[in-house]
Amino acid sequence: MQAPRSAAVAETGQLGGRGNAAAVGDSSNDTKTHFRVCRFIIETGVKLGMRSVPVATACALYHKFFQTASLEVYEPYLVAMSCIYLAGKVEEQHLRTRDIINVCHRYFHPGRDPLQLDSKFWELRDSVVQCELLILRQLNFQVSFEHPHKYLLHYLLSVRCLLNRHAWSRTPIAETAWALLKDSYHGPVCVQHRPQHLALTALYLALHTYGVQVPRGEREWWQVLCEDVTRTQIEDIMTELLQLYDMEAKCT
Amino acid sequence: MDRMRKIKRQLSLTLRGGSSGEKSLNETIGSQDAGAHSDSEAMPGGGSASLRGSVRGAGGSFSMHSLLQSYSSALRRPRSLGRSLSSYLNHTTRLEIVHEDVKMGSDGESDQASATSSDEVHSPVRVRLRNNPGRKISTEDINKRLSLPADIRLPDGYLEKFSLNSPLFDKPLSRRLRRVSLSEIGFGKLETYVKLDKLGEGTYATVYKGRSKLTDNLVALKEIRLEHEEGAPCTAIREVSLLKDLKHANIVTLHDIIHTQKSLTLVFEYLDKDLKQYLDDCGNCIHMHNVKLFLFQLLRGLNYCHRRKVLHRDLKPQNLLINDRGELKLADFGLARAKSIPTKTYSNEVVTLWYRPPDILLGSTDYSTQIDMWGVGCIFYEMATGRPLFPGSTVEEELHFIFKLLGTPTEETWPGITSNEEFISYNYPRYRADCLHNHTPRLDNDGVDLLSKLLQFEGKKRISADEAMRHSYFQCLGERVLTLPDTTSIFALQDIQLEKETGMRTTSLSDSELLQRCLRFRHTLGTYNCSSAPSQRQEAPSVPSVPVPFPTVNIYFVLLTVIKQKCPIPFYSHDFKWFKLLSLVV
Repeated sequence: MQAPRSAAVAETGQLGGRGNAAAVGDSSNDTKTHFRVCRFIIETGVKLGMRSVPVATACALYHKFFQTASLEVYEPYLVAMSCIYLAGKVEEQHLRTRDIINVCHRYFHPGRDPLQLDSKFWELRDSVVQCELLILRQLNFQVSFEHPHKYLLHYLLSVRCLLNRHAWSRTPIAETAWALLKDSYHGPVCVQHRPQHLALTALYLALHTYGVQVPRGEREWWQVLCEDVTRTQIEDIMTELLQLYDMEAKCT
Repeated sequence: MDRMRKIKRQLSLTLRGGSSGEKSLNETIGSQDAGAHSDSEAMPGGGSASLRGSVRGAGGSFSMHSLLQSYSSALRRPRSLGRSLSSYLNHTTRLEIVHEDVKMGSDGESDQASATSSDEVHSPVRVRLRNNPGRKISTEDINKRLSLPADIRLPDGYLEKFSLNSPLFDKPLSRRLRRVSLSEIGFGKLETYVKLDKLGEGTYATVYKGRSKLTDNLVALKEIRLEHEEGAPCTAIREVSLLKDLKHANIVTLHDIIHTQKSLTLVFEYLDKDLKQYLDDCGNCIHMHNVKLFLFQLLRGLNYCHRRKVLHRDLKPQNLLINDRGELKLADFGLARAKSIPTKTYSNEVVTLWYRPPDILLGSTDYSTQIDMWGVGCIFYEMATGRPLFPGSTVEEELHFIFKLLGTPTEETWPGITSNEEFISYNYPRYRADCLHNHTPRLDNDGVDLLSKLLQFEGKKRISADEAMRHSYFQCLGERVLTLPDTTSIFALQDIQLEKETGMRTTSLSDSELLQRCLRFRHTLGTYNCSSAPSQRQEAPSVPSVPVPFPTVNIYFVLLTVIKQKCPIPFYSHDFKWFKLLSLVV
């Protein structure tokens, strides 16, 4: 995320003749904003009854979009709403714009009445639809993603066979790994790493959290599950994941 | 190790108190409102207009800037959308949505082909050019550089333009610059394509035949109307996102995408007809060798899709396109999807009824690549016999057709079927399986064997596309067809050639062919015999040669009737020159 963003910032700075310093200065603010918006996507997704994979797709769309676009140009919450809408189409869980707008309205204004069906509502809906097209263009129609969820499922099944039955039943490894994976969508990790690596890291982290040791054969267990991953890669992804949890503390 | 310890410490800190995502989410909903406000306020408003002005002032010498700048201004424009939402976020009481006319430009993230429309684009690197005079750039260079489709031949004019003043070959090509240059050539612009005839209309799209001004090739323009309420149809989104990744000789190529405000136009390669038309045109009787070639190509394209975990889900003769070389290509991926999780349930209204497998008809929702293989069987039969295999109009009728031919399934032929509630409720009579041989007289034993392997009730028993390609039915095509690169047509092999369809209606018949066909036609009518053409009489010795005086008026009359009634006689075609024929016969 860092590299393309700063490039974009530099470019806008150069083009607009604006001071670079100001633009670069709020890059950490941007990260915070993205974190908040993703939290918004995930929560809205839950309220709309979306399954895990469409929610994951919505977040991935969002991160992918802002890899090349700048927060100064686009309103992140509008992009997020359109991402949710688009993810529903991509993953065959069609959502209605009206539901999305109503749920988002409640999110921003918990106490207020639902929006009236007047021209303002229609204009808002048009914005969501137009922005969807913009996302499609920006991503060049590359909107289907391979998610780590299925890999994690396979890895979990394999690792369970390697472990002592009691160790498995005592510790909520599967739940933790799954939660870690879901949380990872708060940050751009999902579009920066291969899904296999992400799934493996979630499992790795879950096992370490509970101090569960996997018996070691000739190779490490994670080398058996996924051949092209290195320890540094796992550690890098892990650091990024943990930074997200730090971010959570900062963004409350 | 030190790093690991640090990570662990961090982990224990963050995980303590079970702060994994969802919980924390709920805790923070309350504070969200404030967050949203501060975000939108932090963004500078209305800066873009002044920026644009200042750069424009710099003028033409920095045209690279102006090029990029028009790019950025284009990017900037949709800001109005954003602003409308943020204003909504800030003051919902006084909702003020400034809905500027957002012009959707062309091609992917490009920027407004229209904003940078040709006269505004100056050569950005004219200075640099002097150091680099007279460089020769070939089409291949450009194609490679821009990763254009391989079959694109750019006209010479474009090449000259490039070798004179193009940023393309002097600068490292960023993704963005690539787009700008693509749109400079004419990609993603509606003006580049000339609409010719309308080819067909679907629920959400209209297909036109067109011509690309860029390459002079024929193209098919699929114009998708953008519904104001629903935005881009999900079939279109799926079709584009899948087709962008599918590059195969037996899959239709997507050349370009054009965005306008009201529509999205997909530019495909143009193929003359679909399999349905082909069948009609050759009198529902395809040469058996060609049946084999078509089936093989269908399997080859499908195998590629299935390997990449894409299901087509809507196979039917109308979706298989054929060109005059005999190349068959899969089209219409609107219902296809990337099959990401095999155990997932899918919506079950997907395949046209005639080509829909029985397990899906009986409500199965967990299907996989085998869903397409049943359809392949049905199409195989249709090519071999000229009529659809199971032309049911309702689910019940469709199943009835299937069971009548293949036998009503029992617990032996389809384990678990007797507990399927839908199957029980239809209460079909107990048919015995019919012999497929009796229905497909033109098919040899291998062909019938392959057909029966495709028409299996249970998905898991159906032969896969990969296995089917290795079936002994295709043995005569040789081994090499199996090892061709993905993007090579099977006709690249010399020993593979399309046979001429005997009954094909063509528009350019030679005179002698016309005469022969006319005579054959007359034999089938059995009324007249031509005494003045002894050589032709030998062609059909089975017809009794009773010499009958041959009145000119009568054949004239017969032909006119034939033409008027559009009788599907093989030789009939739109510009059939009956007078030519008359002059020959009489």
